Amino acid sequence: MSRAQSWVVRARHALDDALWGPETAARLVFVHTALAALIGVRIVAGSYRQLADTPPALVDPVPILGFLDRMPSVEVIVALQVVGGLAALAAVLRRHPRLAFAVAWVCYLVLAGLRGSRGKVLHNDLLLLWASAPFLLAPVDVDRHDPVPRRRYGWPIRVGIVVTALIYFFAGYHKLRRSGPSWAYGDNMRYIALWGPAIGSSGWAGIARWTGEHIWVARASGVFILGLELAYPVVIFVPRTRLWFAAGAVFLHVSTWFLLGLDYWAWAVTVPLLLVDWPAALARLRERRARRPAAEARPATAG
Amino acid sequence: MTAGEVEAPADPATPPAEGDEIPRRARVLVAIVLVLLLVPGVIGFDLWPLTGWRLFSLSRDADQTRWVLLAVDAEGERDVVSLEELPLGYRHAEWPMSELPGAGRARRDDVCRALLGAVVEARPGTTELVIARDHARLVEVDGEWTTRHDYEPFHSCEPGEEGR
Repeated sequence: MSRAQSWVVRARHALDDALWGPETAARLVFVHTALAALIGVRIVAGSYRQLADTPPALVDPVPILGFLDRMPSVEVIVALQVVGGLAALAAVLRRHPRLAFAVAWVCYLVLAGLRGSRGKVLHNDLLLLWASAPFLLAPVDVDRHDPVPRRRYGWPIRVGIVVTALIYFFAGYHKLRRSGPSWAYGDNMRYIALWGPAIGSSGWAGIARWTGEHIWVARASGVFILGLELAYPVVIFVPRTRLWFAAGAVFLHVSTWFLLGLDYWAWAVTVPLLLVDWPAALARLRERRARRPAAEARPATAG
Repeated sequence: MTAGEVEAPADPATPPAEGDEIPRRARVLVAIVLVLLLVPGVIGFDLWPLTGWRLFSLSRDADQTRWVLLAVDAEGERDVVSLEELPLGYRHAEWPMSELPGAGRARRDDVCRALLGAVVEARPGTTELVIARDHARLVEVDGEWTTRHDYEPFHSCEPGEEGR
């Protein structure tokens, strides 16, 4: 086999593993359930009812809701929240999980679409919607005590990770494409901090002003954001980096809230849910705790 | 193995263990999801929920033009109305306002009057609402950053009358 052919095979292998690689049943059930819970919280806790008062002249429906010429009534919005919330609860309790997850996901899509039907393209809910889309067909006849990683358990998680990585990468790619590398090291972050958000206000006005007034802090922030976004696809192929990238994303979204007051907490929760193998981490923690008393019980050697 | 050949991993097309196959419909769903994510992502267009993910992608500088509302009281005094003072349904009004230059008079009146109701509720003394462009500039004076505003009226409307 020639070197070129070998590379093609290796690339196919890597891509196959990225999308269809094996995971444990415990991880699949955990992520599926946690995403359902997160969707449920977004549906129930979101401020959607107030949207019913939006005057028709200010309504610009998103393409999938293009048939609307005005916001639905409060009753319709509340009905969507109730149905979606109950469906998410059913998915969490593993009652008809596939159907329940699909109903919750569709209700969430419609509610988030209504929120975005006021002219501005909103991304706040999109990472959760996109990353959870593969779970619409996730296997539900799962023995969560099956310790063997299997491809049929793994693909929704693997695809969710690929989707997440692509989303961050595209965010960085368009910064480069529209503004160039100076987006990161120029004065851009200084002015983002000083101008503040287009809507709402900074979560901590003092930190926003401080960042704007200290150009090296602003530039370091810009380099961190652009670097993190462009490097995100690494998580697809190098699993040991996932914890660090998850931590980076959480830091990015928490600091964005302090700086600009933007609600990206759904992103900050979704990313670690997908990238970290929580059941395995919990098992390791339990194992470590179980070992500790045994080690402490051993008599100390004379020294 | 001859020179120039290297050992390669097994071909991924090797069938998985029995009972561990990926269902065909799962592969179809994944293909659809990836195409719908990649096409707008690479090109950079928005058809929500399809999106180009252009988050804060345009560099900012010291100058910024935004659309604002100016409430005029009985004495003729103009004051900027923050959209944060208005109910949730009105908070994104800057985007419909930004499309008014390409719109006809009827549409401008519709948007102005839609906003006027909420502004009068928040500021009961309002006698006129002006939709304006705010050409703002951040200026550093003695280490302090301040914003200078230059308002350019675009359209206005009064309670009980057609827009101007």
